[in-house]
Amino acid sequence: MNTPSHSTQVDIEQLDGQVNLYQPASSILELRSVSCAYDLSRPAIHDISFSAREGEILCLLGPSGCGKTTILRAIAGLEPVQAGQIFLSGRLVSSSSETLPTEARRVGMVFQEYALFPHLRVADNIAFGLRHLSRAERRCRVQDMLRLTGLEGLDRRYPHELSGGQQQRVALSRALVQHPVLLLLDEPFSNLDPDMAGRMRQELHALLHRMKTTTILVTHDHDEAFAMADRIAVLNQGMLEQLDSPELIYHLPATRFVADFVGQADFITGQVRQGLVHTELGEFPNTLNRPEESEVVVMIRPDDIQLVPNKSAKPRVAARLFRGSENLYTIRLPSGQMVHSSESSTNVYEEGTAVELRVSATHTVVFPAEQPPRSQQRDKSDT
Amino acid sequence: MIAIHRPSVSPLQLAVLAGATLVLLPLGYVTALALSADAAIWHRLWTTRIPELLLNTVSLAGAVALLTFVLGVSTAWMVTRFEFPGRRLWEIGLVLPLAMPTYVLAYVYNYLLGFGGPVEQLWQTIAGSQARIISPQSFWGVTVVMALDTFPFVYLLTRSALLSFNLSFEEVARTCGASPLHRMLFVTLPLLRPSIVAGLALVILYVVSDFGAVSLLRYQTLTYAVFQQMTGRSDNQAASILSILLVILALLFLLTERWFRRKSRFYQTSGRFQTPQRVRCGWLHATALTACLATVIGLAFGIPAYLLVTWSLSAEAQAILDARFFGFVWNSALLSTLAATAGVFVGLPLAYLASRKPTWLNVGCLQTAYAGYVLPGPVAALAVLVLFLKVLPFLYGTVIVLIVAYVLHFLPVGLQSLEPSIQQITPNLEEVARTLGLTVRDTWRRVTLPLIRNGVIVAWVLIFLQTMKELPATLLLRPVGFDTLAIRVWLEASEEYYQLAAPSALLIVLVGLPALVLLLSRDWRAA
Repeated sequence: MNTPSHSTQVDIEQLDGQVNLYQPASSILELRSVSCAYDLSRPAIHDISFSAREGEILCLLGPSGCGKTTILRAIAGLEPVQAGQIFLSGRLVSSSSETLPTEARRVGMVFQEYALFPHLRVADNIAFGLRHLSRAERRCRVQDMLRLTGLEGLDRRYPHELSGGQQQRVALSRALVQHPVLLLLDEPFSNLDPDMAGRMRQELHALLHRMKTTTILVTHDHDEAFAMADRIAVLNQGMLEQLDSPELIYHLPATRFVADFVGQADFITGQVRQGLVHTELGEFPNTLNRPEESEVVVMIRPDDIQLVPNKSAKPRVAARLFRGSENLYTIRLPSGQMVHSSESSTNVYEEGTAVELRVSATHTVVFPAEQPPRSQQRDKSDT
Repeated sequence: MIAIHRPSVSPLQLAVLAGATLVLLPLGYVTALALSADAAIWHRLWTTRIPELLLNTVSLAGAVALLTFVLGVSTAWMVTRFEFPGRRLWEIGLVLPLAMPTYVLAYVYNYLLGFGGPVEQLWQTIAGSQARIISPQSFWGVTVVMALDTFPFVYLLTRSALLSFNLSFEEVARTCGASPLHRMLFVTLPLLRPSIVAGLALVILYVVSDFGAVSLLRYQTLTYAVFQQMTGRSDNQAASILSILLVILALLFLLTERWFRRKSRFYQTSGRFQTPQRVRCGWLHATALTACLATVIGLAFGIPAYLLVTWSLSAEAQAILDARFFGFVWNSALLSTLAATAGVFVGLPLAYLASRKPTWLNVGCLQTAYAGYVLPGPVAALAVLVLFLKVLPFLYGTVIVLIVAYVLHFLPVGLQSLEPSIQQITPNLEEVARTLGLTVRDTWRRVTLPLIRNGVIVAWVLIFLQTMKELPATLLLRPVGFDTLAIRVWLEASEEYYQLAAPSALLIVLVGLPALVLLLSRDWRAA
């Protein structure tokens, strides 16, 4: 769907410079126009195509009910596909007529609630998928895995005797110990408290890169996606909105939905006159190439706006939200439109202070004013 | 008395103490009677009867448990994991055997498998005229009858566990490369263990305390022996010794089950958004499943019910449908109504106070009331009988003694539906009524009672239906000549007058069906 159009602008090259996104060297996983819509209780997905390269972490990001877990389950073979094909290591594993059973796919999966077998000890949980190996080999593999995930000494425990973070490591070990072709993670951090989630994220990221395991990670949290992913696929209502590196997703969102979902964004209406978009916050390049006099919106992120107190300025500080590392200001423009600005933690302005806004966006993202839902429009340029 | 320490004793508190006394006193007396028995009696019993009775009882319980495990788990698996025409009907039909009291099933099988019965005739035409089949009046005969009657306990509990089973466990096993058989043996069944064990515990308690089937099939168990000591030998002391043994045995089984449940309390097997995906079956597969289920239900309910209907329509049976027969119906209904009403009145204060003022006294009283759970009918009858003979001998042979025994025996049944219905309403509702100016009495009438009404009705109906089919206590304690439907079935069946027993048996089965509806609606909601 949304194969990113190549832009020649310099900073996009920088954002995206180190990897070549468009010619996968060897794709471990490939989805071709996959649709699932069997069960009404589960979100449907429509015409999803993407591929994952060997060793990369690809993140499926979207709100709940967007179908990201359905895609994951389809890849694992737990969900039949209605149309399209799924390839694993170049082999067709799912199509509308045929489904290779999950147990023959060599995928590892970590469920949201871990699904550790409560009747088995940690070591037996991890060794569950290693029945084909000899006892000694099995023990060796399990011990290696325990060491790798920092679970030494816990192998005789039962799952309920472990903390949330340890349980997650066991689930991860159980999936990784079989050396899966592909690792599938379904919201792996959602059952952990934020501190623990942050730590586990770093550990997991390091571990996956060390093991060079190709990973598909499902999450609804854009911070998690930014921290973990090599590439992010943003999903909405069963459709793929954009597939790009985290930086491109954030700075050059393809749709208003993506812009809004991956971070705070304000949309300022403007009009095209003499080749420029005129808005309350100044002029921007008409990157959409809309005709004269047409209405458009410009996306502005809070970190693009800098506040300078100025008694004669019209915009007023309407609210301040202290977030520790920064202050997030809500500014009322003369027209009544609200925009947001993030300032350093020490820049404190009272409510009602008159401020001048300095917009310094590195690149302008413009959308048509009346954007049809799920527009495929995509245009961008630097200022 | 403990109550003296309280500033004032509410009538409710008194009712609770009275209820607990009602249960404790007979039990205590029977225990005292057993312990005060002469050492010679103990010795005689230990050397003659007890080893054989214990072996018989335990081996029967074990064999029935094994058979119900196979029947219950496999049928539950079939209706929860496969989709085939008529699945919903089978799902409900598998509960029907519970409507059939053991003595009814036993008497039907006495005919079916008996000497010169239809099955033997059929077998002899195949295997020659000298061929024999297993006798119903044997270990295996009793085992089959009891298993067919009780497997729905295992079925129901396994089924609801399977319906709420967290499929992630099986899915994660699949991602680990486990085959279907491996998944079933090493993931699903181990995780279902708590539910299966709970079902088997019910079955074992049922078998250990059963009187109807073992008496008709002449198989010596502890329960049957208690009855025989009381009637044949009129030796209440020996009966009480056997009773104590029986209660200890039942408690042992119960404690084992508790221990299992504690061990597996961390089994969080439910949760997750999906319902199990049933495998759609081809016609071959569907036919095989239907044949299996039809055989099980046919043996446990279909064929017996058919026989009861044909016998009831026979000329001999029609001839006994006279005023005397309706007298039995009236007796049954009267006893059941009295027992149910008394049970609710005793149970309600117990459940209410234990929930609202959970002091050790109130909770203890409630726990005591559950003792009836491990009291087989003959034991309950014995306990009440010896107490009344000692304290109020002039009441012996009246309906009152019988009602007391019923309440003692069936109080747990009522409490099991009263307790949750009271726990469900938050005390805040009563408190807010008080802040709105209602007196304690008005609060009860206008807030509490309407809210627990359904629980009370269910408790009443369940005690009513249990009493309706109760056999041993009625046999032992009824006033002379005061026969109920259950008694008629047993008396006629003992004499092998199959046709004459049929109308009463059929009526008991029909009346028992509403109890299943209640059981199912609760279970279905829970699942």
